[in-house]
Amino acid sequence: MSSDIDYKDAGSILAPLKNLRFFAREPVTEPLGPRPAAENYRGFHVNDWELCIGCSTCQKVCDNAAISMIHIPGLPNDPVKGVRDHRPAIDYGRCCWCGLCVDICPTGSISLTREYVHTCTEPELDSYFVLPDPNGMHKTHFPKGWSKTEQNDLLDHDRQPMAEMAPEARIGDFAEIVAGYTDQQALLEASRCVQCGMCHDACPTQMHAPDYIRAIWQGNVELAVEEIYRTNPFAHVCGRVCTHKCEDACSIGRRGTPVAIRWLKRYAMDALAPAKVKKIAAKGKSRKKSGRKIAIVGAGPAGMTAAFDLIKQGHAVTVFEALDQAGGMTRYGIPYYRLPSESLQRDIDIIVSLGVEMRYRTRVGVDVSMAELEQEYDAVVLALGLQLGRSTRIPGSDHVQVRAAVDLLRRIAAGESLAVPDKVVVIGGGNVAMDIARTLARLQKQQHGVVGMTVCALEDFAHFLADPEEVRESGEEGIEIIDARGPRHCVVNDDGTLGGLCTWKVLSIFDEQHRFAPKFDESDERIHEAGMVVESIGQMTDTGLLGDELTEALEWNRGRMKVDAFGRTSLPWLWAAGDCVNGPDVVHAVADGHRVATSINEYLTQEVAA
Amino acid sequence: MSREGHSSSYQRLAGTRSLQEILEIATEFERTARDFYTALAPRVSKRIRWLVEELADEEQAHFDLFDGLIKRMDLAEHIADRIATPASDHRFSDAIHLPDLGENPDDQAVLQYAMGREHAAMDQYGALAESVEPEELRALFRFLANEETEHKRELEARYYEIVHSGGV
Amino acid sequence: MRPENYQAQSHPPSHEYELNFGPNHPGIEGNYALQVRLHGDTVVSAHADGGYLHRGFEKLMEGRLWIQNIALVPRICVPDPVPMEVCYSLAIEDISGLQVPERAKWLRVLQLELSRIAAHLFYFGGHAATTGMYSPSFWGVADRDLILDRFEELSGGRVYHIFNIPGGVRRDIPEGFLGRVSALLDYLEARLPEYDDLLFRNQVFVRRSKGVGVIDQQQALAWGVTGPNLRATGLGFDVRRDDPYLIYNQLDFEIPTEDSGCCWARTLVRRSELQQSIRICRQVIAALPDIGGPVRAPIPNPLAWNVPVGESYTRVESSKGELAYYVLSTGGEKPYRVHVRGPSAMHAVQVLEKMVTGGRLEDVAQIMFSLDACPPEVDR
Repeated sequence: MSSDIDYKDAGSILAPLKNLRFFAREPVTEPLGPRPAAENYRGFHVNDWELCIGCSTCQKVCDNAAISMIHIPGLPNDPVKGVRDHRPAIDYGRCCWCGLCVDICPTGSISLTREYVHTCTEPELDSYFVLPDPNGMHKTHFPKGWSKTEQNDLLDHDRQPMAEMAPEARIGDFAEIVAGYTDQQALLEASRCVQCGMCHDACPTQMHAPDYIRAIWQGNVELAVEEIYRTNPFAHVCGRVCTHKCEDACSIGRRGTPVAIRWLKRYAMDALAPAKVKKIAAKGKSRKKSGRKIAIVGAGPAGMTAAFDLIKQGHAVTVFEALDQAGGMTRYGIPYYRLPSESLQRDIDIIVSLGVEMRYRTRVGVDVSMAELEQEYDAVVLALGLQLGRSTRIPGSDHVQVRAAVDLLRRIAAGESLAVPDKVVVIGGGNVAMDIARTLARLQKQQHGVVGMTVCALEDFAHFLADPEEVRESGEEGIEIIDARGPRHCVVNDDGTLGGLCTWKVLSIFDEQHRFAPKFDESDERIHEAGMVVESIGQMTDTGLLGDELTEALEWNRGRMKVDAFGRTSLPWLWAAGDCVNGPDVVHAVADGHRVATSINEYLTQEVAA
Repeated sequence: MSREGHSSSYQRLAGTRSLQEILEIATEFERTARDFYTALAPRVSKRIRWLVEELADEEQAHFDLFDGLIKRMDLAEHIADRIATPASDHRFSDAIHLPDLGENPDDQAVLQYAMGREHAAMDQYGALAESVEPEELRALFRFLANEETEHKRELEARYYEIVHSGGV
Repeated sequence: MRPENYQAQSHPPSHEYELNFGPNHPGIEGNYALQVRLHGDTVVSAHADGGYLHRGFEKLMEGRLWIQNIALVPRICVPDPVPMEVCYSLAIEDISGLQVPERAKWLRVLQLELSRIAAHLFYFGGHAATTGMYSPSFWGVADRDLILDRFEELSGGRVYHIFNIPGGVRRDIPEGFLGRVSALLDYLEARLPEYDDLLFRNQVFVRRSKGVGVIDQQQALAWGVTGPNLRATGLGFDVRRDDPYLIYNQLDFEIPTEDSGCCWARTLVRRSELQQSIRICRQVIAALPDIGGPVRAPIPNPLAWNVPVGESYTRVESSKGELAYYVLSTGGEKPYRVHVRGPSAMHAVQVLEKMVTGGRLEDVAQIMFSLDACPPEVDR
């Protein structure tokens, strides 16, 4: 096709007169006044400081390295909540206004405005380096331009689904509920991470989660396990039952589901052969023997973590455990369907294989005294846990069928058979209450074919203590959870058998200062029929093994042994770690174990030097 | 175990007609309580001694408060100010059953005992505030009831933190 | 001339002398320059001297995440940025097997054609200026600005739109956008006769450009000439039709050609393309309301995005000719290699050097501009 313009046609002689029509047209020049920018304009930044968490993801995506994170003293800085007192500052000498910072921002705090003119003589603005705040760089409150929408959001807000057993299938036995990620799922889940490190800061033991997530994303499971073992020898356990403070702090969780950091850890641990894990765990073990001996009382996560560190530092470590096997609450408190004992055993085996001497069925205070330990060892660690269940002590609670949750869980984990009545009531609203309810419900299903389980919690669902997924899964398994019920008394029938539990309605549980101040509606009284009532309101440490003399010699802090920042008690030879001073959860116990091990090692090496 | 003679003192208080006199009796109650906890402290395990010592300190603080009020000239006016916003009370069911404090009480027992004591005192002052005639006496009883209610609430919060060890 | 390129030479007595076109020549932006050797008014030889203003795009891309390069590529050709964004995205989509949603494909075509119109309007002004006529410059820039207004509305950026990303486009169109584009097209179409009067039927321009800078079809093919410059030699090759991408095979348009291969023919081809681009835009505007769905395929987190191992040579038809990206991924989070096969680098170096040789001094600027080379794309 060729052009049909007849260039030879010079036109009429009057053709130039056509130009007269231009007199009637508007000039095309822009008016001198300010020209409003388009609604989507990518102008100067604004940043909502209330929303911004200082995660630095904008800095990472910035293709011109125009963003620096600036420390702003006075802003909230809370690792547990996933908030840092840093805010992005823009170097407008480098910025190209591409808006990728807006598209990727996990919180949606950063936007571009319709402001695009910056001419100014004031010295404070005589710079290209600007810290965007909610008012814009000239405090002129320009409307937002390019900002976050569902379409331009670059982050994946949805977690890879975790395959789990259907409620009907799982209620019949104790098989582990979650299936774990496949290679592909793990890779996709790991790819959601923006490497902000909020998880690392929030983790009690400062796990290098960004690094192992990155390694998983790169398909390098071995590297991932190495990163995990830098801080956590209870990784099989934590990969399953950790309270995952990391996920609460995850910046992706601001607008979506946090990265499944815990499941990724589980994936990495399960994906690598135990022999390889063992090799990684043994890395850095001292070849020199220090000749020092350390006794650890309690083979739970805190005690075993301390043992892991100390044995690698070249000391001789003996762990005293009253029960048959190691693991503490992770073995005798957490039901099999959440943490199979084989997984726990893998962690334990690795620690023991480093040369830790285990003395099972040895109860300190009975089989061996604290005085003997003090005599024979250079240092002693108390990692006693919270083994005693609290009772409400309401009338009737001394009935033989009113039981403590922790006792029952321990017996069931130890393999004792237990006859469960067809109707059971659990008092409590925490995770232990859920554990015992779901455990007994499984036994009910096995023994009676049906579940007859009621949980009465003091707290209402808005202030519930148990994890939401525990509540959801319990519901799926046919367990009735009644919130806001205060226990009044246990009903004992005339023949002496237990009839059930009487409760009052709780109107509110906390006052304006969020302190406990329950209000009851005494007219709303209910009797929950039950052949067994299980109390699961709280736990305490059994400090009886200390004996009167040691109890008197120790300093105490509101019912717990007083320890310094490194877990050392008021006595120079005695440390305490884990739930008994800093609980209750596994990952805090692991962190504690590291802390006391470091402190003991310093103490022993200083002693040598002195 | 002593309950510091609450029932007999009720009769004594009901017949009282002077603000100073009432306060003196109330002060006496606090003193007895303080002495009770002070005596208990060395007998309990050192692990929970802090709790008993705190209770003794709190009773001492009440004692000081009432004692100070006796000496004030503008007593009636001052009390009126202090009960402008009374503390609300609702009973905490598993705490109102007074156990017998045995030879070696634990923290839960001590707390339940203390809560029971505050509750009983609160009830008493509350009933007196309803039954006595002169307005200034009513005001004083309301003030006392309010003080005991406040203290009971404090104890309840502590009870939850210690016994219901959040979320385990 | 940059000092480092200057070599003092003592010449034997001769009638030849050197003249630098650029880097500050008003007809060409950027830092690219043409050194011509003249004998009298006749060009004896020419040497294209790539500048430093926009150096190192390809190397820069190797050091950036896949997504970060979307902010870099439009800079390679400032007047016609959209084909850069689209072609880069197409190459990545090709390697990683990303399925671009239908709506995004149509939106890309709309942008591509609007960008082509804007680039051509810019071009006429420049070309006319090289013959001493400045009104078309003002007209072209003013009308191009109206297109930029629509781009601003669509993407938030007037010149660097950065709107296409691997997987699709960043956002859907704003409310009422198609209506405003439609009105703009009506206006531009009504303006075309006025451009004809001003330029294409202007005897000064016709006589100045006809028969100047002639290149025949065989030479053009041998030298790697593409796009409107090739079509001005009578060969109707256009990637949009002959190797269709996006949804060009569903559109109805013609490929304008001219036979004479001179400056005039090259301008005339572009003038005819304006009409075709308007035609394509109208088809998109008519079709778009019925094409629902997302505007972007889900892409991985840009901070953890490994494009799978693979390579792709992807080409599109830009306003300046055939534009292609060769992208090589070794499975990493950054490209291993990105090579841009740009039309301007071809036209402004090897073609131009040969074309001006033997020509006259007063035609050099016009020949340079008639090829529509974009200096940043040469410099790189």
